[in-house]
Order: sequence, then C-alpha cells, then structure tokens
Amino acid sequence: MIRVQGLTVAYGAVKALVDVSFEARTSAITAVLGANGAGKTTLLRTISGLKTPVAGSITHDETELTAMKTEDIARMGIAHVPEGRGVIGEFTVEENLRLGALTAKLNAKQSLENQYERFPILGERRRQHADQLSGGERQILSMARALIANPSVLLLDEPSLGLAPLITAQIMATIKDLCASDDLTVILVEQNASSALRIADHAVVLNVGHVVANDVASVVAEDENLRQYYLGMVS
Amino acid sequence: MDIFLTSRIASDVLGGVTNGVIYGLVALSLVLVWRSTGILNFAQGAMPMMATYVGMIAFGHFFGYWICVVIAILVGFLIGAGTERVLVRPLYGKPEINPVVVMVGFLTVLEAVAAAIWSSTPRSLTTPFSPIDFHLGGKPFALSAFSLYQIVTAIVVMVAVAVLFRFTNLGLQLRASALAPEVSRLLGVRVNRMLTLGWTLSTGVGTITAILVSSNFFTGLTPQVMDGIFAFGFIAAAVGGLDSPVGSIVAGVVIGIILQFVGDYVNSNAIILVALFILIVSLMARPNGVFSVVKARRV
Amino acid sequence: MNRGLSSRRVITTVAAVAAVALSFIVTPSSRDGVALAVLATLTVIGGSVLLSSDLRRAHPVVTRAATSTMAVSVSLVATFFFSSTTNFNLATGAAMAVTLVGLSFLTGVSGQVSLGNGAFMGVGAFAMAIWSNHHSTTPIVVTLLISIVAGALVGLLLGLPATRLRGPYLAGMTLAFAVAFPAILTYFNSWTGGDGGLQLPNAATPPHWLRALYVHGTTSLTSGTLWLTDITLVATGVAFFFMANLFTSRVGRAMRLVRDNEVAAELVGVNLNRARVLAFVVSSSYAALGGALWTFLNNSVTPATYSFALSIVILSVIVIGGIGTIPGALIGGLVYAYSTNVINWITNQTGLNPQGNFASQLNGIIFGGLLIVTMMLAPRGVAGVYYTFRHRRASPGGDVKSPSEETYAEA
Ligand SMILES: Nc1ncnc2c1ncn2[C@@H]1O[C@H](COP(=O)(O)OP(=O)(O)OP(=O)(O)O)[C@@H](O)[C@H]1O
Ligand SMILES: [Mg+2]
Repeated sequence: MIRVQGLTVAYGAVKALVDVSFEARTSAITAVLGANGAGKTTLLRTISGLKTPVAGSITHDETELTAMKTEDIARMGIAHVPEGRGVIGEFTVEENLRLGALTAKLNAKQSLENQYERFPILGERRRQHADQLSGGERQILSMARALIANPSVLLLDEPSLGLAPLITAQIMATIKDLCASDDLTVILVEQNASSALRIADHAVVLNVGHVVANDVASVVAEDENLRQYYLGMVS
Repeated sequence: MDIFLTSRIASDVLGGVTNGVIYGLVALSLVLVWRSTGILNFAQGAMPMMATYVGMIAFGHFFGYWICVVIAILVGFLIGAGTERVLVRPLYGKPEINPVVVMVGFLTVLEAVAAAIWSSTPRSLTTPFSPIDFHLGGKPFALSAFSLYQIVTAIVVMVAVAVLFRFTNLGLQLRASALAPEVSRLLGVRVNRMLTLGWTLSTGVGTITAILVSSNFFTGLTPQVMDGIFAFGFIAAAVGGLDSPVGSIVAGVVIGIILQFVGDYVNSNAIILVALFILIVSLMARPNGVFSVVKARRV
Repeated sequence: MNRGLSSRRVITTVAAVAAVALSFIVTPSSRDGVALAVLATLTVIGGSVLLSSDLRRAHPVVTRAATSTMAVSVSLVATFFFSSTTNFNLATGAAMAVTLVGLSFLTGVSGQVSLGNGAFMGVGAFAMAIWSNHHSTTPIVVTLLISIVAGALVGLLLGLPATRLRGPYLAGMTLAFAVAFPAILTYFNSWTGGDGGLQLPNAATPPHWLRALYVHGTTSLTSGTLWLTDITLVATGVAFFFMANLFTSRVGRAMRLVRDNEVAAELVGVNLNRARVLAFVVSSSYAALGGALWTFLNNSVTPATYSFALSIVILSVIVIGGIGTIPGALIGGLVYAYSTNVINWITNQTGLNPQGNFASQLNGIIFGGLLIVTMMLAPRGVAGVYYTFRHRRASPGGDVKSPSEETYAEA
C-alpha cells in the first residue's frame, strides 16, 4: 500500500502539486487522472524519488520513501514505468529485460522465460534492438521489464499514450489480471480517463496540482461535473 | 617466407602493430570515460603515469616487476575512482569547457608533482622481456619478446573489457548508466557507482598502457611520457569514433601501422604531422568517426 | 549607472591632467620631449571624448577608440620612467594579453576552448622571423599582419573540421597540435632554424618614421630598446580596440546566441558552423599576433618557448583572469608577466632550494592547482568575481543582470 499525505512539490517557484493526499491499496488499481500539466507525472516521479518534495510524506507499508534514493526505492520493489516508456533503444529486448531483473536477485533465466511466456511477442524479438520495436511492443517491453523483478508496487505513467484502442484495451486487461493475481499495488496515471476508469478500483483526479476528487472509480465515472470539467469526457 | 618476414615492409607492419595497440589502449580508455560520463579526460595520460611512478618506482625498491605491476594497477584504480568522486562529480551538467579546464589543470599538477618527487630524468623499468629483435635465418625481424608481451597484453585487456561489457551483468549496468541514467536508476542500478567504476576501469586500462610504454627500453618513464601517447590516442579515438570502443582500437592499430611507414620512409618528425593530417581528413570525411554507429554527433 | 559614470570621469580627468603635467615637467629636460608632447595631446583628446557623455552614448566605437588611445598613451608615458626590465616584462605581458583576449573571445562567444594557443603563438612568432629573414625591408606593421594571416590560415585548417562537431573535439585537436608543434618545427628545420631558432636580421634598429617622431638622431630612446616596448603596447592597444568592437558587434552577439541557444540561433538565421570557425580563426590570429610581438621584442625566436607547457600556461592565466571577458585578458597578461617573480618570491620565502626538483616544479603545481580551483569556485576568474561584487553593490536584491552579459557589454 502506498500512502501519500500532504504532498507539495515545486519546480523552482512553481508548485506542481499542492497538499496532495490519497491512498493506493494493495491488490487494487488506483487511477490518477487529470488534464495536461495536472501534476500526474510529477506525482509518480516524487514517489520513486526522482523528485524531492517540498513537504509531505509518502509511505509504502510504513516505510517512509521521501528521504530514500531512487535506486533504493526501486530495490524495495516499487517499479516505475516512466512516461514515454524508457526502453533503452540501443539494447536488445533481452538486455532490457535482464536489466530489469538485475536487482531482484532472481534466477535470471527462469524469469526471462516467464516474461516471454506472458508476452510471446517479446520472445520472438528477444535479439532485436529495442529501437526497432513498434510503440505498442515497446510499451509491452517496458511493462515486462518492470514486472520481471516481481514488484509489489507498479507505477504506470500513461501506458496508453499513442497506442491504438485495441492495444490499449489489451494492456489494460493485462494490468487488471496482474493486479488480481499478484497482490500488486497499481497506480495508473492516465489521460485516457474512460479506459482507466473501466479497470480501476479507485480514482484520484488532479487539477493543476490539487486533488479535486478521491473516490471509488465508479463514483468518479458517474460524476457529471468531474466528467465534464476535469476528465474531458463527453457524455 | 623468411625473406618476407625480415623485409622492410613486414618489419614496418609489425612495429606499427606494436605501437598501434598502445594507441588503441589509450583510445579505449578515453572511450570508456567518454561513454560513461561524457567527459574527454585530458588527464587520461597523467593519471596512469602517476600510478606507474607509485607502483613501479616507489614500490620498485621492495618488490619485483610483477608485484609492482599489480600494485600500480591497484593505485590506478584508486586514482581513477578518487578523481571521479572528488574532481569530476561537481562538473556534471556544467558547461563543456569546465571539465576540459579542470582536467588540464589536473594533468599539469600530476606532471609537476611527479617531477618534483621523482625528477624529470627518465627511469628505466626492468622488464622480464628482452627488447632485442628475434632473428630469422640470421636476420632480425621487427618483433622482440618485449613487443610480443606488449601486443599480447593489449589484446588480453581489450578482450577482457569487451567480455565485461558484453556478457556480464556489471557491464550491462555500466552501459545502461551511460545510455539512460534515469531509467537505470528506476530499475535499481546504482548509477553513481557505475560512473565511478567507469573511471576506475578506464584508469586501470590506462595504467597497464603506461606500464607498457614506460617499460619500453627506449622510452623509459618520465612525467611527460604520456603526453605524446595521449595525443595519438585521442587522434585514434576521434578517428574511430569516441562512442565506439572497437572503432577506436582498430583506428589505433591502423594509425600505428601508417605512422610506422611514415617514420621509416619519410622521417620521424613527420609522424605527428601525418597523424594530425589523418585526424583532419577523417573528421572532414566522416565526422562521426570512421567506425562509429552513432549518428548524432554532428551539430 | 551614475556612480560608474562619475568615477570614470574622475579617473579620466586625473589621468589627462597627470599626463599634461608630466609632459610639461619633463619636456625641457628630456630628449624625447616631442614624443611626450604627442602622447599628452592624445591623452587629452581621448579624455575629452570620454568626458562627453553625449558622444559616449551616440558613438560607442569612438568611445572605445578613445579608451584605447588613452590607455596606450598613458602606459607609453609610464614606460619612459620605468626600468628597462619592467618595460620588458610589461611588453611581454601585453603581447600575452593579446593572445589571451583571442582565447577569451573564442570561449566567451562559442563556449569552446583551445588548448593549442601556445602553438598558434609559435606560428606567428616563426612567421614573423622567417618573413623578416627573407624580406628584411618589409615594414614592421606589414610583417605583423603577415604573421596574423599565417595564424589565421593554420587556425582555419584545424578549425574547419573540429568546430563542426559538438563535444571536446576542438580541445582535443588543438592539444594534439600543441603537442605536435615542436616536432613540426623540427620537420621544417630548414625554415625554422632547428633547435637554435632564428634571429631577426635588422636587430633592434627602429624604423625611420619612429626616429623622426623623436628628436632626430640624438635620443636615448632610439638607441635603447624602449621603442620595442612602445610598439608592442601600441599594437596591443589596437588589438584590444578591435576585440572590444568584435565582442559587442552583431557578429559577436550572434555568436553568443550560438553558445547559449543553438536552436534560437539557427532560427534567427545564424550559420552555426561559420560562427564557430570564425571565432576559432580570430583566436588563432590573435595568438599569432602575440607570438609575433614576442619575436619582435626579443629580436629572436627559439622553438623551446612554444612547447605544450606554454599552451597550458596560457589557459591558466586566462582562466585566472576571467575567460570570456576582456578585462580578464589584461589581468591574465599581468599575472603572466609577473608570475616568475611571484614564484621566485615564494621559493625564497619558503626557503626551498631554488635548484631543487620541487622549486622547479612549483610553476606547474601552482598554475595547475589554480586552474582547478578557479574553475570549481569562480569559473569566470578575477574579472567574474569583480563583476558579481559590483552587481551586488549596485543593485542589492534588485534586478541583477547576469554577470556574463555585463562582461561582454563592458569594453
Ligand atoms: N522539469 C520541470 N521543470 C519545471 N516545471 C516542470 C517540470 N516538469 C513539469 N513541470 C511543470 O509541472 C506541472 C506538472 O507537470 P507534470 O508533467 O507532472 O504534468 P502531467 O500531469 O504529467 O501532464 P501530462 O498529462 O501532459 O503528462 C506542469 O505545469 C509543468 O509545466
Ligand atoms: Mg505526464
């Protein structure tokens, strides 16, 4: 479980997040929604230690994360799939996956095989350089690279960005499955509110750094105001 | 066959390879640092020079050649790591000239300190290998036990670096930290440690090179011994591509052979002139380096 | 602003009055009276231009010319009273300052750095000596120009490929050039005279026009070496005048745009490659002029002077003075001129054996150490520290122009 309390984050004088609080429960998907510049990416980067907050706390099962280094947070089992996917183009598919498995101290061969089983498309392309993959394949690769270390928390930053609706649906289904089967805490950042709300259990809506809604996903999905003003969903 | 091996051409090629592997090693150590931290280390000759003085001269009173070699390499590792931690770390993200100036300053200090302690008189290191050319059918050909030692050592080092980077998890992390530091940290790679390690390794490779250079009967060890070698090594790295370890090694060997012919057929002062010429022409023709795969280097 | 103006006014007035007074006191007793009178007149003209704030605002070029004229004529007057050792030191430092201001320009406007300016000085120094030996009648001004052209050509050859590339290629290539330079001189030893170097043919004879300017034929000046110092100082003044204009010219501004923001520069229509090459060629020409002046001052040139070590010393003193600034070059030149004295003083104070290893390496340890420390703590050197300090005082907390901006605007 991830608990965020009173989090304020600033870039210089500009505050990107103001007094943000919410909880992301284990075995549940928490969607974080909001328009461009709402502060969603900033939230995830602060959780994984890439950005230091001005105030507030972030805890993972009682462990305070804000004072920790990014590397150590990652080693605790908090996997972050960054915006724009972050696959290393100069590496092969397999090298990308090996990099993901490094810190988990697992049987590397076995965990590679597991991922190839789960995502057969990666198995077929294991020797290819990642910059030769399509956008959807890269998204799958970066998910697989995050999952290979058996994380307890998965932070996803706009996994549907630039993908066709069909692939988006597939990815969402995969996330849902993982969450159900693996005791995973998922924080899913999305612009695409409708597809995120379809699979999410809980939803947090951000507007220029402030939390404007924090409720069960179905409630948020039904709220006419939220839909219209913050989620850009036409009814 | 004998006649060919003792011919002028064959001896130039052999002599060229012997020098060329040295240029290749210096180029390799430059590439290691460049790829991991984006800095061209102008003290890449002087740091190993210092390690060689400490290992081979200071400890030379107490131990034999091979133990001193090991000590020198360890000192090289220490100098590399310490330099990255203390001098280089504050320079990341600074304007391009800051690391250049600081490393040139470091080069100056190291050379002056070495000369202050050990004087500028050349020291000859006693090697277990004879510098006298082998003979074939009563005629010498340009290969000695020492030059074989030099070539074999260089090849071993190059292969070891290649294996480390290609096939080990450590190498994977080193490469990842250089290519995508932020993503690497998100995957739990200790990027800062990898940067230090890059400098450590590079100075280690440099130290082996400096030991080979100064073990050479004809040069010996002086505080400035690596200045000229550094210039050739930089030229090799720039010609082969600062991003390309293989390219820079190949360029080093090829340049070594060409220059041996120049020295033999023209005269020894023309060597560096031709080297500069090669650099100018190759940068004009292939700005990315003759062997580089990276395309983004042009402005 | 007002404060700056008024202090300038005070300094200018004092300098002009001092020069006039001096020339009146000295003229009757000195054989060089005419020369002093000319200098005094120049000082007064320069001073009055500077005092008119309308002129200053409307014609910055005229203002810079007046500043240079004043500075040069005041220092020329001073050379009449200094010992010949001091004069030689000053002139050596002035020629070095010419080299430094070129390097400062390269870094200031393009963000790149050259590690080979010692070798470029060598190019100018040898060009001067070689030309004089083949054409001993060429006027000194023409010979200096020829040396500048030689520096520019070599600079173009090295700069064309290296400046096109991002990253430290220019630094690396110029370092290779500096390391190679002694071997290059040896390779062309039929021209360069090998290890012994070259002597100038018409040793220390001042040209006719200069003799005519002083009291004809009878002066102590023309038989001594003072005229060498004075010509060097005049050349330095001219070089700085051009550089001050270049720094603030449209070309200079365009180049700084290149340094700070390539994309913006490209959008404005600046040709990036050409700007970088140009900056490098300017810097190597200036170095060549500096070297030619050294040959002129010494009446000879030796290859040992232009070793790799010189290039490092050049980098050190400009970094200490303030790389990227014009005043930094003057400070650096002064540091260079007196560095030997200071280091000898340190040797004496610390009781080191002057012949010992450590004392002989003190130079490298101090310069290298200062390079590192300056870059870490005050990357714009003494000049940068001064500007920051003045800004703090001028506008406490208020809107502070970036020190670099000011640095360039100042000239
Ligand atoms: N590196 C940065 N420096 C300065 N400001 C930044 C930086 N990164 C983000 N911001 C600002 O912080 C605010 C939040 O940005 P953030 O990237 O978190 O938004 P987001 O919700 O992820 O938007 P999007 O949906 O477009 O990805 C924005 O106003 C943005 O301009
Ligand atoms: Mg975002």
